[in-house]
Amino acid sequence: MNTTLVNLACIIDDDNIYVSLIKKIIKAKNLCSELLIFNNGQQSMTYFEDLSNTLSNNEIPEIIFLDLNMPIMDGWEFLEKFSKIKDELKKEISLYVVSSSINPSDMNRAKSSPTVKDYLVKPVHVKDLETIFMRKAV
Amino acid sequence: MLLNQLNSKTVDDIDIGYWELKDNEDMFWSEVFLSNLKYTEEGVKISLDFFLNNLIHKVDYELFKNNFFSFVKNGTDFRQSMLIKSSKGKYKEFVCNTTNNGTLKLNKDSKFIFFNKRKFKTSKKLTKNKFYYKETAAMTKTGSWYIDFNKQKSYWDQQTRRILGYPEDYLPSLKNSQKYYPLEYQEIAKKIFFECAIDGKKFDTEIKMLSKNGHSFWVRAIGRPVFDIHKNIIGIRGVFQDIDITKEKELSLQRTSNIVASQNKRLFNFAHIVSHNLRSHTSNLSLVSELISSFEDPEEKLSLLDNIKDIAKSLNDTIEHLNEVVTIQTSINKSKSKVCFDDVLNQVIGSIGQIIAKENTTINANFSKLEYINYIPAYLESIFLNLITNAIKYRHPDRSPVITITSKIENTKQILEISDNGVGIDMEKFGDKIFGMYKTFHYNKDATGIGLFITKNQIEALNGSISVSSKVNFGSTFKIQF
Repeated sequence: MNTTLVNLACIIDDDNIYVSLIKKIIKAKNLCSELLIFNNGQQSMTYFEDLSNTLSNNEIPEIIFLDLNMPIMDGWEFLEKFSKIKDELKKEISLYVVSSSINPSDMNRAKSSPTVKDYLVKPVHVKDLETIFMRKAV
Repeated sequence: MLLNQLNSKTVDDIDIGYWELKDNEDMFWSEVFLSNLKYTEEGVKISLDFFLNNLIHKVDYELFKNNFFSFVKNGTDFRQSMLIKSSKGKYKEFVCNTTNNGTLKLNKDSKFIFFNKRKFKTSKKLTKNKFYYKETAAMTKTGSWYIDFNKQKSYWDQQTRRILGYPEDYLPSLKNSQKYYPLEYQEIAKKIFFECAIDGKKFDTEIKMLSKNGHSFWVRAIGRPVFDIHKNIIGIRGVFQDIDITKEKELSLQRTSNIVASQNKRLFNFAHIVSHNLRSHTSNLSLVSELISSFEDPEEKLSLLDNIKDIAKSLNDTIEHLNEVVTIQTSINKSKSKVCFDDVLNQVIGSIGQIIAKENTTINANFSKLEYINYIPAYLESIFLNLITNAIKYRHPDRSPVITITSKIENTKQILEISDNGVGIDMEKFGDKIFGMYKTFHYNKDATGIGLFITKNQIEALNGSISVSSKVNFGSTFKIQF
């Protein structure tokens, strides 16, 4: 397989081990050609705000994996801010919350946001990741 | 003498016995007083002591003595009924009072106490009841009092005097009545009495009072307004009950319950931390194992070894941090000792001298207002270490760190304040999270988010508290109450 399923995906997570493992899966399974990685909500928010000004389409990720517990700006705050600017981004973005929290109140809160496509509990499985990317590619 | 006889005649005419108290402290008992009891002058010794010890019933002893002295020393009129023993050994009931109803001509230089024979005998039951009331008052430590607004005077019964530790002939002061309350309760006392006097609001409250020897103790104070026929409030009548023992028990129970609650809260936090922080590692571990089986290329499989090493390391770190937290919970019973702030600070400065010097840190300490505290020495050291290294770690990029440390006493509480001129923390955003585990608020590779969590746990384990105030770009102040 030479062509990837998705062009650009984005991971927002402060757990470096997790990030490096996801990178490995994506590379091994050829899921997408380029990855954006941010360690907290603040960094990614800066990126998206710049993007909404410049509107260069190929810099907008098709999929975002968002962690909840992060320093500086956590996943909730990112969600709130991102929901306000996402319509300015001329691309359909699928945002998945990926957290180790199994607290039902976290799950319900995330799922109730129209910005969130689904809630994944860590550990994520290789199959699930493949499905997400394949669904996006169709 | 002649005058006295003349007077005695006047009074004797109406069948009232009396005592005449002369200003040289001599006393005279009238013939009627003696004959009513079937005594002759030979059979008695005319003195207060003799009367108190031999004639008056023990039930009436206290009250009479009290009334007598108030009357003699301060001219406070009284009226009381009492039992007096006759020569035949039987008790007879009299109503004793000090007010001359105006029909009698009396020697103006003397004071008089009249003893009227009770026409209708009070039933024995009532006398008995009175005895029981007194017993009840004594056993329940309940004293009654009355404030007379017209006369601008307060009256206490013996039990009130006893509760507050004043002598039996003590006359309460209305003007300085705040002195019966410890400083911190004077406003409250003033308020309840004021509201009762002005609005007629009854009260039933628990308040601390101050005894004569300066011991403060809990009383239940109950009071209600006294009205005249025109419904004007003319006084307040009420009781004080000494509830110190039960109240202290209640408070100690409350304290115990607070400790249990806070320990429970920490336990709950701990469970949350365990589930949350351990979960992130175990989920990584299971992801790795899944990858190992799904990757076919042996090179790729091998490359996962590094990830396993990383996971092992962070798992280990987390376990160590959790262990530190558990140690706090279990070492509360470690012995406290007198710790000198200055010594501990010097020890900490010694151990992190390099970091302090490297960043050109200035530490200004002033422990003159509170030099020592009773604490677990290792905890104080850890508190200093965490807060000082924090201040250096989060220094402002444009200036060298300046740390100011002050100890003091505030409202009887022991306080330590540590201020810095660092980057500060956005309180609005992070205020409630500052002391959480693994919460970091700055881009700093050294930030582990464990220091303040441990510090807070150590302080709370010893029933203290820590708070922070901060302004971004100006600095932070941590305030610890031990």
